[in-house]
Amino acid sequence: MTHEVIRHLLDDYVTGELAEDARPAVAEHIAGCEICRAEVDGLQAVITRAAALPKSIEPPADAWQSIRATIERDKEAVMPDRDRSASVFWRRPSAIAAAIVLAAVLSSAGTALYLGARNDAQQNQNVASSVTNSTATASLAAFTIEENAYLRNVAVLQDMLDQQEASLAPETVAQLKASLRTIDEAILEARNALARDPANKTLIEMLSGSYRQKMDLMRRTAEMTRGS
Amino acid sequence: MKTSAVVADTIGPNPSTIGEEKAAALDTVRRAQAGDVDAFELLYREHSGRIYALCLRLQAGDTSDATELMQDVFIRAWRRLSTFRGDCAFSSWLHRLAVNTMLENARGDRRRIARVLPMEDTSRLEGAARSTSVDLRMDMEDAIATLPKGARQAFVLHDVEGYQHQEIAEQLGVSVGTIKAQLHRARRLLRERLER
Repeated sequence: MTHEVIRHLLDDYVTGELAEDARPAVAEHIAGCEICRAEVDGLQAVITRAAALPKSIEPPADAWQSIRATIERDKEAVMPDRDRSASVFWRRPSAIAAAIVLAAVLSSAGTALYLGARNDAQQNQNVASSVTNSTATASLAAFTIEENAYLRNVAVLQDMLDQQEASLAPETVAQLKASLRTIDEAILEARNALARDPANKTLIEMLSGSYRQKMDLMRRTAEMTRGS
Repeated sequence: MKTSAVVADTIGPNPSTIGEEKAAALDTVRRAQAGDVDAFELLYREHSGRIYALCLRLQAGDTSDATELMQDVFIRAWRRLSTFRGDCAFSSWLHRLAVNTMLENARGDRRRIARVLPMEDTSRLEGAARSTSVDLRMDMEDAIATLPKGARQAFVLHDVEGYQHQEIAEQLGVSVGTIKAQLHRARRLLRERLER
């Protein structure tokens, strides 16, 4: 084996993952090659230091509280409870869709209807900043984690759609934007209501449903574009 | 590196108590599967240090991202507890979930980053990392944090966490050859940086 071939085997040689029948030739070469010896020493130093790193690092002390709040909310979502009949209602997809439409109809923020894709992004930023200011309750704090994930996904999908817009039919773009505006209105309505009533789980469910609806619509449109 | 206190390794149990401890651990998992949040908190207390360490290294030492990822991992673990059948150790199941969660989160980020900076131009990332720490003596954690993402993932999973090439390739959805190439690159970059 040549020097170049052996150099590519040094990683496996050092970690003991090199085939047994190849080891003698590599060892013989290393014994007579200063470059490869230095390489082996360097690799061993790195691997030894990596193995010596602590396997456990204590997470921030308050990390559990948000997790607990989220899973408590999950538990409530699957356990029948007379007091939560409203929440159960809102979890039905048809009810979420109806809520979105209803919120849009009742919305007084007519100007939002004229916002374009860029303003959609601005709305998302506004939502994100309002989240920062409204972590008064455990439920809301837990939802904030989910909401941040929604916002990241929506931003990525928005970027994709911006890039793909030229390949979509104008009427499709118009319909998509109109639908997104409707959903954004519902999101803003629910977000504003939640700012006034942070402990309202029905509103959290409704907001979560609106985000899912928005992501689903954007994702389906992006997939449709890729498939065309 | 921006990390919290390191949790000291505890001394392992006597062989005679291993069976009992395994049974107790499994019992805790079963209680959590039945909806006992306090039992799940016990699992969190036991495993969060290892999961957080993994998240921290995969997220290049960013404590905020690492905390968010770890929380995401445990929330997903709670929601998917019913899928844990006890075929492997709970810690292994949780570990795999952590890597999968990180990858799912990264897919969205990667699409966004790809538009800002072509992936083949990672030398610019390396250069940026180098320039910010040129006068500093970097320790191992800092050096790992400066690795390009692919090399960092391969290195952390193989050399720190002890996964095999094949396991990492399956988890990351790439070939064994790619993992070996990333490891090769990571070790040489680390060697250069640590020798500075």
